[in-house]
Amino acid sequence: MRVKRHPIIEAKEQSEIRFFYNEEEVIGYQGDTIASALHALGFKVLSRSIQEHRARGFYCAIGNCGSCHMIVNNVPNVKTCITKLEPGMVVMTQKDLGKII
Amino acid sequence: MIEKDLIIIGGGPAGLKASKSALEAGAKVLIIERNPELGGQLIKQTHKFFGSEKQYAKTRGFNIAYILISELAPFKERLEIELDTTVVGLYKDYVVTTLKNEIYQKYHAKAIIVATGASEKVLAFENNDLPGIYGAGAVQTLMNLYGVLPGKEVVMIGSGNIGLIVSYQLMQAGVKVKAIIEAAPTIGGYKVHASKISRLGVPILTSTTIKKAYGTDQLEKVEIISLDDNWQEIAGSNKIIDADTLCVSVGLSPMHQLLSMAEIKMVCINELGGMVPSISAIHETSMKNVFVCGDVVGIEEASSAMVEGALTGLIAAERIGYTHPEFNELKNDYSIQLDALRSGPFGKKSRIGLDRLKVSEHA
Repeated sequence: MRVKRHPIIEAKEQSEIRFFYNEEEVIGYQGDTIASALHALGFKVLSRSIQEHRARGFYCAIGNCGSCHMIVNNVPNVKTCITKLEPGMVVMTQKDLGKII
Repeated sequence: MIEKDLIIIGGGPAGLKASKSALEAGAKVLIIERNPELGGQLIKQTHKFFGSEKQYAKTRGFNIAYILISELAPFKERLEIELDTTVVGLYKDYVVTTLKNEIYQKYHAKAIIVATGASEKVLAFENNDLPGIYGAGAVQTLMNLYGVLPGKEVVMIGSGNIGLIVSYQLMQAGVKVKAIIEAAPTIGGYKVHASKISRLGVPILTSTTIKKAYGTDQLEKVEIISLDDNWQEIAGSNKIIDADTLCVSVGLSPMHQLLSMAEIKMVCINELGGMVPSISAIHETSMKNVFVCGDVVGIEEASSAMVEGALTGLIAAERIGYTHPEFNELKNDYSIQLDALRSGPFGKKSRIGLDRLKVSEHA
């Protein structure tokens, strides 16, 4: 869900960005971070905890907490809350510590 | 190794003002910022600031960010800015290491200003890790910066200024705020903010805390409970509220990690938010030529972060040989501004914390 009307912030017409979330093609907008685009689409679960596999979403949205880590273009532990969305990005839910390539 | 005059870590209100001061004095400056843009947390703040004209009172936060960034434009020949760049190391030999797009870089600086700001605290309760539970600032970022709504129905924990302001901004964006809960017996933030919210029909429940969150993979319900005069739960006072979003606004912690890494002397001062560097009157840490300003040296408002930044930039530049022609006048003026910002009942906590910090330096 996106903000429809706002008394202070001016709405800007933004162009679409197509990317992949767990192999599904989805749409975000110019200016989005990966996490904001996914959230707008209703995907709040970004990763799973390593031991208990509990759902993880972002907590701080500014790159501090590490709760938003995902696998982006095969790179694990990407802070999706401060990484700008780019066309064609392949974004996957992370379920482990991530492997160093 | 890349040699630099002055490295400023963090491009928020403190770092930007420090840059401006140092540039005006004639120094060459490198700002390193982790986020894709400068401005720190100002860029998501849609409300108008308090304070006096010198700290941009009556101007909205995001416009202040714009002003601070624009103020650096005349100095672009001596200013370098690295965005999307995380400082991953600060060492005793004045080496700063960074990571940008998987590329590791080493810098060496004559002086360093650490203006890393703060991070939102978390609160311990059952299921506090469910998606849908966010720091209040995170929700502010999501809706004000990216135009994305956090959910449909929100419960806010904490009635400090951030909790109150973000609640109001949630309503502006069209989200229903079901309640603000506050463990203390009184509202923490300014009355003007609280009254505005109460008038819109949002209950502010004092002496109330969160007991538990419910949901499968994301938040569905919140259980709250009343507290007695001794902060103990009152049995049977539990209430369930349907909500898909819970905002936690229970304070901030200074981002001290880089300072700790360089083994700079730290002290724990609750009034300032936790671990803070021990500093001299000119904001220098126990490591010579390493200075700090803004929330990293005690949680306060952005207004004081800006003035601290201006002061610190001036001093750091002087240290490495660039003395501003009006050094003494400016230094004096910034000190007076800081005292003014910390006067009055809402500055009490800062005053106590800073007094304890002064004592720690001489100990």
